[in-house]
Amino acid sequence: MLWKLSLTGLKSRFKDYAVLFSGLTLASAIFYMFMAIATNPEFLKGALKISFQIVQLTFGFGIVLLSLITLVYIVYANSFLLSMRKKDYGMYMILGARNSKIGRLIFLETLVVGVLSLVIGELIGIVLTQGVSQLLISQLGLQIHKFVGFYIPAMLWTLLFFAILFFLAALWNRHKLVKTNVIQLLHEDQKPVKLRMNKTWKLIEAILGLGLLATGYWAMGNYVQLKTNSITIGFFTIVIGSFFVFDSFFTAMVNLLRKNKNFKYKKLNSFTLGQLKFRLTDYTRILSVISLLFALALGAITVGLNFNGVADQSLDANYYDVVIYKRTPEVNRDLKKVSVKSINGLDYKYVLNKKTKDTGGLIYVSKNEIKNANLKYQHSYQKDGQIKYKTLSISTDQLKPGAKHYSEEKIQLAWLTPYLSADVKMVSQKQYNAIKVKEGHTELLQVNNFRSNFNNIEKLQNAAVKPFLAGNKYADMMISNNKTAGYRLVSSIASGFEFMGFFLGLAFLAMLASTLMFKVLSGANSDKPRYKMLWKIGTQGKLLKSSIRKEIGVLFALPAVLGIIDVLFGLQFFKSLLPNPYDKIWIPFGIFLALYLIYYLITVKLYEGIVLQKNR
Amino acid sequence: MIEILKVDQLTKTYGKKGEKQYQALKGVTFSVEKGEFVGIMGASGSGKTTLLNILSTLDTPTSGSVLVNNQDITKLKKNKMADFRGKEIGFIFQDFNLLENLTNRENIALPLSLQNVKAREIGDKVEEIASRLGISQILDKYPGEISGGQKQRVASARALVHNPAILYGDEPTGALDSKSATELLETMKDLNKNDHVSILMVTHDPYSASYANRILFIKDGQIGKELKKDNKTGEEFYQEIIAELGRR
Repeated sequence: MLWKLSLTGLKSRFKDYAVLFSGLTLASAIFYMFMAIATNPEFLKGALKISFQIVQLTFGFGIVLLSLITLVYIVYANSFLLSMRKKDYGMYMILGARNSKIGRLIFLETLVVGVLSLVIGELIGIVLTQGVSQLLISQLGLQIHKFVGFYIPAMLWTLLFFAILFFLAALWNRHKLVKTNVIQLLHEDQKPVKLRMNKTWKLIEAILGLGLLATGYWAMGNYVQLKTNSITIGFFTIVIGSFFVFDSFFTAMVNLLRKNKNFKYKKLNSFTLGQLKFRLTDYTRILSVISLLFALALGAITVGLNFNGVADQSLDANYYDVVIYKRTPEVNRDLKKVSVKSINGLDYKYVLNKKTKDTGGLIYVSKNEIKNANLKYQHSYQKDGQIKYKTLSISTDQLKPGAKHYSEEKIQLAWLTPYLSADVKMVSQKQYNAIKVKEGHTELLQVNNFRSNFNNIEKLQNAAVKPFLAGNKYADMMISNNKTAGYRLVSSIASGFEFMGFFLGLAFLAMLASTLMFKVLSGANSDKPRYKMLWKIGTQGKLLKSSIRKEIGVLFALPAVLGIIDVLFGLQFFKSLLPNPYDKIWIPFGIFLALYLIYYLITVKLYEGIVLQKNR
Repeated sequence: MIEILKVDQLTKTYGKKGEKQYQALKGVTFSVEKGEFVGIMGASGSGKTTLLNILSTLDTPTSGSVLVNNQDITKLKKNKMADFRGKEIGFIFQDFNLLENLTNRENIALPLSLQNVKAREIGDKVEEIASRLGISQILDKYPGEISGGQKQRVASARALVHNPAILYGDEPTGALDSKSATELLETMKDLNKNDHVSILMVTHDPYSASYANRILFIKDGQIGKELKKDNKTGEEFYQEIIAELGRR
């Protein structure tokens, strides 16, 4: 009987539940995807262990954030669920159902909804993971062929996580309903509303809130002086500041509008303002949480998409695109696929020092060679906490002991030979000629279309390095110490961040917008009589609709505006990490706001469906 | 005499053709003259709520016509219906139907703001009607902060602030204690007598009905007996109503 009751309960409100389902399904799908990518060992077997470990770490971080928001989301989704069913439960109780029985009924309903959305979510998650990981694999240049989105441990983790969440939610629901008595359940919508407030305190609160926000924004911009403190300060001031601002400032704005008679006595404005005032008091907590989540989500997408800039920046670290130590048939073959812009060369002689075999030998270069070759390198320095590069020439002056760039230029020269850790000595042409070892010759290439032809260029560089790897103690360094390897590493990390930022941002958005949606909708039932009354005293349908649009619009817009301001200031913090965090900012903002807008429209439609009279 | 409301052969059938149908109104005909206070009495299911809904354009009849101020409201389009309600009709409901998140002043002002009346004019009109109904002191309170009797006065002020052609009362005393009910009825009588407000009140309470000039009894979707107060006192009319109810 219980099963039948709860199932018919679900069926009769299918449309409302569909929204809940889709939100939960999306949450579990994205959770599964994160889990599958972060924990799948197939990736670790790939060639670029380090870069993928970093990507996995970032995904792990994403999982923690995602769990938090899912928790908030489920709490609100559940309160919506309860608000819809309260009257039914009250009716069962009047008919004599025991508290414990109703408790079990609620428990069952919550679990049924949870399990269904979990199963569908995992199925979608598998498909999603398949697609995303293929993209990721191609971006990282990994050689994995047998990867599939289906990964049992991730499935179990997702199952466990959501099972615990739903179990807790079911317990909470049960507790909440069983606690309230029948009368309250039946007359839920007739609760009196507290509207008076202490004006002085509100004023202090408003000023305090704005002040805290300003402090937080200042801290985000001053990360150079404050170091990690800027996060701590920013976190607390912005969280508390947002709450204060929602609790006082926005209500004060509404009150100000209510004082303006010309505005207030126009059409339904007084009603809309009254609704808003009531809502803002009721919504303080959720609106501040949503503005923060909004900032996190938008920030994640903006920063994530901006990481491409880091990869581009890594190109500045090396002056020469490809370094060829020796022509082999393989090198010659790969060279044909690369369009060379310019070739420079370096002649040197390498003498192995028998005593200091471990630290390598000595590389001799002649003064004339340095003069004639005009070799360049990228000098790195720090400015405003960011690493910048400047192109310098290796000069005979600087290669004298005691010169400013003496050791730097020696290292740069050694890096142009296969003897990366050897010392360098500049000698006269005469002394150079006297050294009786075979002269080495390195070709230094600058190429066209480094990024678009990257795969071929990387192949060429690897072929050039290959003959020197066998038995070389410094093989790892040799593989990684060139432009292609640097670019590959940074761009793979960047794309990891990009993916994570993007999906985390979307997941956040989906959940925060649905959270807000459920909060608005769970109040819809008690708003019904108000709209009915307005309709009776002669308010046109389109006026009612526009009032609904305005009211919900403000509720959606306020956290969005505050969130956007948070992001604009918060991006300051990323200046140390990203070359230009504000670059092309309209793309992530545009995507984000468009999706947010869709949520808003859905909420308006659903709300109208609940409160407005059907076609009379 | 001018007829403010003229109802002719009104029928209302629920249920589609071919399905099981129920006839709530079976040809109701009556009229209300300007400045008249008419009561409609009937038991539950007699059709009085259906009738009131149609008279106020909340529902449409199956056939027949309803003329308010010589305008057939059954032929109006949806938006025009809303405008009509906003301009020509004042409503007092049993459960007040005030918006609890607006002050009483804002509640009363609502019908005027819907008609684009200027803010200053709205302020004046609200003050005027509030002092007429003796609620000037509580205008800036919220409905949650006043008594049931006061709430119904605020609701009456809202119903009258825009000078409607006719005031409809739907069991207006239903949720009030006897003292507040009497006060409200006295006020309605006063408005009717001195301000010539036309009133149509639906009720099943004989005491409330005894305040009307004329009572129409509705039974099974048809107007049956009609009682007139003429020169009787309230008490005499009340007894007559009781007797009539007992006869049915």
